[in-house]
Amino acid sequence: MKNRIWLVFALLALALSAGCASRGHERDINDPTNSLVFGFVDMDDAPTKISYASLQQVAPPTDAPYWGLAVRKGLFYNAYLPPGSYQLSKFGGSGFWAGENVYNFPRQGNQTAMRIDKPGIYFLGSFKYKTEKSGMFEPGKFSMQKVAKPTEADLLKRILDEGSGIKDSAWRERIQARLKQIK
Amino acid sequence: MTASPLRVAAALLALALAACAGPARQRVEGWSGVGSGETVVVGRIELVPQLRKGEQKLENLNSGSFENVVFLMADDKNRVLQSEPKAADLGGRIEATLEQTFFVRSSDQPFYILGGMIWLEIGRGMNKAYFPGGLRVPLKTGDKAVYVGTVRYYRDEFWNFSKVAIVDDYDRANAEYRKKFGTKIPLRKALLIPVK
Repeated sequence: MKNRIWLVFALLALALSAGCASRGHERDINDPTNSLVFGFVDMDDAPTKISYASLQQVAPPTDAPYWGLAVRKGLFYNAYLPPGSYQLSKFGGSGFWAGENVYNFPRQGNQTAMRIDKPGIYFLGSFKYKTEKSGMFEPGKFSMQKVAKPTEADLLKRILDEGSGIKDSAWRERIQARLKQIK
Repeated sequence: MTASPLRVAAALLALALAACAGPARQRVEGWSGVGSGETVVVGRIELVPQLRKGEQKLENLNSGSFENVVFLMADDKNRVLQSEPKAADLGGRIEATLEQTFFVRSSDQPFYILGGMIWLEIGRGMNKAYFPGGLRVPLKTGDKAVYVGTVRYYRDEFWNFSKVAIVDDYDRANAEYRKKFGTKIPLRKALLIPVK
């Protein structure tokens, strides 16, 4: 019985963390001003996989600029973003040998910088993590190299199939329409 | 882009870089801090649009002294900073508080602004933005006080700079100069010159 109680708590914590990852800022998933922003990163050459990621809203000014992204096997997305300017802020994850790692993106010269002028579907791209040379007393450096696959369509299908609450929301039609458009 | 297994270590490294750098050109408030053969350099740095509240997140001990401050890296010879500035590049810098007139002492020889840097985040992560340089500070031997102008940097929300303007705001700077340094020695105007 004791074990079952812990299982309930563990599942509850998992559900809450999954919800927080892609929601945040208390917006409704069917809000017509929402945009879907997504991308993919291949972390095979990184010290760890990623288990969390965030976008930073750089305009308009806000007291809560960070938006969590849902992360699933390299795919990351948020379906609740209001119009504004955004860029990837950080990834993070842990591994048995590598421990906790944080991958920070620059505020300036960030290749994922993006303006959302009107609600829609925005593909940041697919990337591969590459370790860059750094000095002994410097933090590790990396770059994100654009790759052709997975494609925008591949990832949209995954969001539709795997995304929490996506299939039962207004996103279903919007994603299907986008898939037809890019076929 | 940086990958760090220890966030604290990254932040400490950032502060260590600043700590290891040579001294900045000293800010002065009157003639008592200025030696013979030295010049008071007067100028100002402005951002358009201005730095917003919350745009800098400086959470580590002592990092508050970097608030609103642009480090203008300077050298006697003009050169292009190829990569991230080293501690040596920060020696002789001007620490200019944004939207405020600075008064620093310098030798009376011309020098160059190689570029600028502002800390945007020290704490959970570390993040900086760099300003373009390539400006000559046209001091002349024997100069006592020189106004070099207001450098107005135009930027977007992603810290891409679209324009740099040297603005002549002599009257305001001269009024501030007279309050601090008196009227005996006039403030010569010699605006910064972009290097081609």
